[in-house]
Amino acid sequence: MISDFAYLKPGSMKEALQMLKEHEEECKVICGGQSLLVIMRQGLVSPEYVISIKQLKDANYLKYDAKSGLRIGATCTHRTLEHSSMAKKEYPVLVEMEEKLASIQVRNWGTVAGNLAHGDPAGDPAPVLIAMGASVKLGSAGGERVVPLDEFYPDLFETVMNHDELIVEIQVPPRPAKTATKYQKFNLLDSDMGLIGVAVTTTMDGDKCKDARVVLGSAAPTVVRAKAAEKVLIGAKLSDSVFEKAGEAAAAECSPVSDIHASEEYRRHLVKILTKRMAKAACEQAKISG
Amino acid sequence: MEKKVLTLNVNNQDYELYINPKTLLVEAIRDYINLTGTKRGCDTVSCGACTVMVDGMAVKACSVLAMQCEGMKIVTSEGLEVDGKLAPIQKAFLDEGAFQCGFCTSGMLMSAMAFIKETKGKPTEMQIREGIEGNICRCTGYNSIVRAIDAVVKGKYAEGKK
Amino acid sequence: MNRYTVINPHSKFTVINTHVHNVDGIAKVTGRATYTFDVVLPGMLYGKILRSPHPHAKIKGIDYSKAMALPGVKAVATGNDTIGAKQGIWRRYKDLCDEQLLTIDKVRYIGEPVAAVAAVTEEIAEKALELIDVDYEVLPATYEPLDAIKKDAPEIHEGFERNINVTRHIEWGDVDEGFAEADYIREDWFRCGGQAHMCMETRAAVSSYTPDGKLTIYHSNQSPYYMQGLMAGVMGMREGDIRVISPYVGGGFGGKFELDGAIFATAVLSKKCMKPVKIVFTREEDFIASKRRTPMFYYTRTGVKKDGTFLCREAKVFTNGGAYTGMGATALYLTGFFHSFPYVWQKGYRYDGYRVYTNTLPSTSMRGFGAPQAMWCSEQQIEWIAADLKLDPIEMRRKNSHYEGYEVPGQATIASCGINQCYDEIRKWIDSKGKLPKGHAIGLSACGFMSGGIFNWFDTPYSFSSAVITINQDGTVELNVGAQDIGQGSNTTMAIICAETLGCKLEDVKVHSSDTDYNPADLGAWGSRQTLMSGNAVKRAAEDAKKQLLEFAYAHSGLNIIYDLDIKDRWVHSVSRPERGWPYEEIVRKALRGKGGQRIMGRGFYTPYRKGMISPAYSYMLQGVEVEVDEETGKIKLCDSMTAHDCGQPINHLGLIGQLEGAFSMAAGYGYLEYMPYEDGKLMNPNLVDYKMIRAPEMPPANIAEIDTYEPEGPYGAKEAGEGLTNPTAAAIGNALFKLFGIQIKECPIRPEMVVNALKEKKAKTGK
Repeated sequence: MISDFAYLKPGSMKEALQMLKEHEEECKVICGGQSLLVIMRQGLVSPEYVISIKQLKDANYLKYDAKSGLRIGATCTHRTLEHSSMAKKEYPVLVEMEEKLASIQVRNWGTVAGNLAHGDPAGDPAPVLIAMGASVKLGSAGGERVVPLDEFYPDLFETVMNHDELIVEIQVPPRPAKTATKYQKFNLLDSDMGLIGVAVTTTMDGDKCKDARVVLGSAAPTVVRAKAAEKVLIGAKLSDSVFEKAGEAAAAECSPVSDIHASEEYRRHLVKILTKRMAKAACEQAKISG
Repeated sequence: MEKKVLTLNVNNQDYELYINPKTLLVEAIRDYINLTGTKRGCDTVSCGACTVMVDGMAVKACSVLAMQCEGMKIVTSEGLEVDGKLAPIQKAFLDEGAFQCGFCTSGMLMSAMAFIKETKGKPTEMQIREGIEGNICRCTGYNSIVRAIDAVVKGKYAEGKK
Repeated sequence: MNRYTVINPHSKFTVINTHVHNVDGIAKVTGRATYTFDVVLPGMLYGKILRSPHPHAKIKGIDYSKAMALPGVKAVATGNDTIGAKQGIWRRYKDLCDEQLLTIDKVRYIGEPVAAVAAVTEEIAEKALELIDVDYEVLPATYEPLDAIKKDAPEIHEGFERNINVTRHIEWGDVDEGFAEADYIREDWFRCGGQAHMCMETRAAVSSYTPDGKLTIYHSNQSPYYMQGLMAGVMGMREGDIRVISPYVGGGFGGKFELDGAIFATAVLSKKCMKPVKIVFTREEDFIASKRRTPMFYYTRTGVKKDGTFLCREAKVFTNGGAYTGMGATALYLTGFFHSFPYVWQKGYRYDGYRVYTNTLPSTSMRGFGAPQAMWCSEQQIEWIAADLKLDPIEMRRKNSHYEGYEVPGQATIASCGINQCYDEIRKWIDSKGKLPKGHAIGLSACGFMSGGIFNWFDTPYSFSSAVITINQDGTVELNVGAQDIGQGSNTTMAIICAETLGCKLEDVKVHSSDTDYNPADLGAWGSRQTLMSGNAVKRAAEDAKKQLLEFAYAHSGLNIIYDLDIKDRWVHSVSRPERGWPYEEIVRKALRGKGGQRIMGRGFYTPYRKGMISPAYSYMLQGVEVEVDEETGKIKLCDSMTAHDCGQPINHLGLIGQLEGAFSMAAGYGYLEYMPYEDGKLMNPNLVDYKMIRAPEMPPANIAEIDTYEPEGPYGAKEAGEGLTNPTAAAIGNALFKLFGIQIKECPIRPEMVVNALKEKKAKTGK
């Protein structure tokens, strides 16, 4: 059961941050609440104050320009990103990822920023955004700071945010030339969270891979980069055996759990297969891209 | 804990409620406004039986704070018919037998409505299936529901047709 | 999107098997239908159940004084507030009545109700649970049937040696002689998982005990009559002082025709505080504490001739009964019986079933009633035998199948059987698909199922089904049945049969069901019995009413004795000269006058007599499922399916399609999705995130070829179409994997990891 709380409805982000500072550890910020309400119902968190930012229209934006890239506002929903023709053109992998996230109902109300703040290693946005070198801008009453997303998660369901901070913006750099990101998760049902998720970004130079990021979801307590797999790809000339080796490297360096859905061994096997497939898909897409 | 006054617009009618702010939208609709068409079937935002439309978007009312819905237009299954005339999707559900026990039906109708409203042109069968992915039905196996939605988007129930 | 074709349709009907709307449709599609989940009574309290955290423990004492002191709490009840009756649905056999719904001495599974609280809000009731102190003496527990039967295993029920709850033996012919003659013998062990009913409406009840000593209960169930009878037993009351009402029911699937914690706890609480009390299970409670499909261990040994003639089969089955019997005794028998279906065993068949108590959630009936498990094993082994002998699997099945007139020795007479044509239709479908894409294969599975059971284990003195029809002066009809609509559409089916028989229009018929104060007794919706049994009662009642109407019509008509009359579509007419007739309403009014102002009433009832050991009639089918498998990950995708199906005469057209598609989705879940793992007696995935339910994108087309036959025992030739369709799919999926890779998966549900491991094993053994 959800325990009682005082409900606060700030009129601006500034006011919200001020409230956050005032109530610090006794409060939680709610926008869509698609993750928050579940853990509140389970009794895992019982904040004294809940600060709603859903009504902050100024924070609801999705902007792009060729120089600074994509900026996703704090209260921008998954569905807005999913339906954005701009995103489909510039960052198609984000749209593909959103199409398979949870359910339409959850995407209509929940936010990308909220998803990142929740910190579930099985979540979809984080691996894709980390693979694209994204960062989050954290706001507080005292100012702002930008944290690269691959430094954002120190542990399971934990972020580096202080109690008086919230994600005010997600920043995705412009896509470099000859670069593509591909993402796939393995699940039994189409929009379930993945048993394993793999996002790969590669930048190509002719037939050679110039740069790569391999990011794993559900393969460790946090979303992690498979750096050994990246090393296999970087500088390598495209071939099926390279992709196989990258898969094997990723499988060896991650630390998945055994649970009722899959054994550790099978999860590693899935990391191997998905990394191989996504690396190949990313390279092929990058080669033909502008 | 301070109770709050809240005005919710449901099925084109304003209701003034005096509630604990932790009240979920589904609780406001069912327990305070007494519209029991919308159901609950889980605690993990999984089943979709609580789906309603908020400003034309399908949402799971078990996972929305009522307080956040002030000023928005909420529609439930009770609000689909207009002056006693069934909406096309309701007629289609009857024609296809797209329900059995009926417990998921209100939520399913709202997901279907939202999908139909949002979709331009003729969706593929898989797009229709994805449109109701957030709703579990234990009875029908979904195919009759997909046929009903398909019939509506193909114009079978358009004004002027029998 | 779906293909539905009818093979040799016979009989033209006015209402039967036409496309009509469900009679409850308007209520359900407009949000008007109310369920027990929605019931609110004046002064009602909210209840919560305290459940055992231990799989096996003695209860030394319960102190709930602190809970009672919490403001808002109005009553706390424990087993000591009850008469301590041990109940069970097999009332005829006292040793199978082993369950106190608020246990007194011992808990036997995690989640078993120990106490219950009624308070002014649900939140207060939940807080009060934490204030109840239960002093447990934890006992060693046992979780698997093959462990629980060991000599040193902890005793779960006193007097049940080796924890063996029930045994069943089915035998005919001489199996040993058969094995001696066999050219080829194959034996296999299988494991069949459990499954949750996962009704969209969880268990729910509102009980109101009033100072006149009467109990009114609103309850989501499959048989108000069973609830009335069972509650009388556990409350120490007369049946007639208990009223059970089922508002619309949000699904049952075999899990809701026994007493549950909700109905019992609310009644006991209400009696204690004289206020209505409501309990609705959370989804988690529903997973943890409402009985599940029976997990089984199957050993099956089959002897055949090299030309594929089935000589004999011997099966030994251990089922995980969990802590109490429930409907497990019936499932134990039916699994053994249907494991022989749909085949003739030339020399003999022998089945021994052992239902074993364990300290886990009791298992019970679930759609298919032991047959999905039976077919998982049988139909896969049969496919493997065909492959071993290099025989065509369809032709091998065909030469051994049941036929009209066949007598299963000592068990059943098959009065109608369309399975032969089912084989033709599936062959046609497979041929029409041509060469399948890479990674695709079609798996087959045959089966048959009962149309209701003949056994009176409930020990009722009433006929199994009854109906009363009353005709109003305007020709509208009050159809009063005990048959329960749980979503399968029985209200509509009964109305169709009534309208067709009586000769009125479907919209003239108002169906009254689901209230024991007003409806005749009916055993309810289980075992796929209602179309045949309740349908027969309705047909007889309608014939009775029509006969009375026609008596007046004959008098009114003045026709020569050689002319007979009938009623069709509200037209009373001469059969040979249908244009000569009178409006039905006119005859109704004349009949009313002739009877001194009394409405015509027709009564009908049905109980099966001399119909063997199991059922009066059997459905048959062959199903083909096309799957696509990702060889590297083992992920299974269902692409297409065709079921050639014989249910005699379909009555409710939309209802039949709905049953087939719905059963397929549930059976597919059993085959490859709905994994229900327990660890040390604890269910590991009691929620809809971790328990995988098939959704719209995963559901393939469920094409139907409906083979019409005529079942003499059924109304208009009808037999079941509700459960049989849950039986074949798991085996069909397994057989598709065998076709594709040559792997033999012996445990269901099939998970991708199992496929990958099987492929690895095969590669290691054979190098490919």
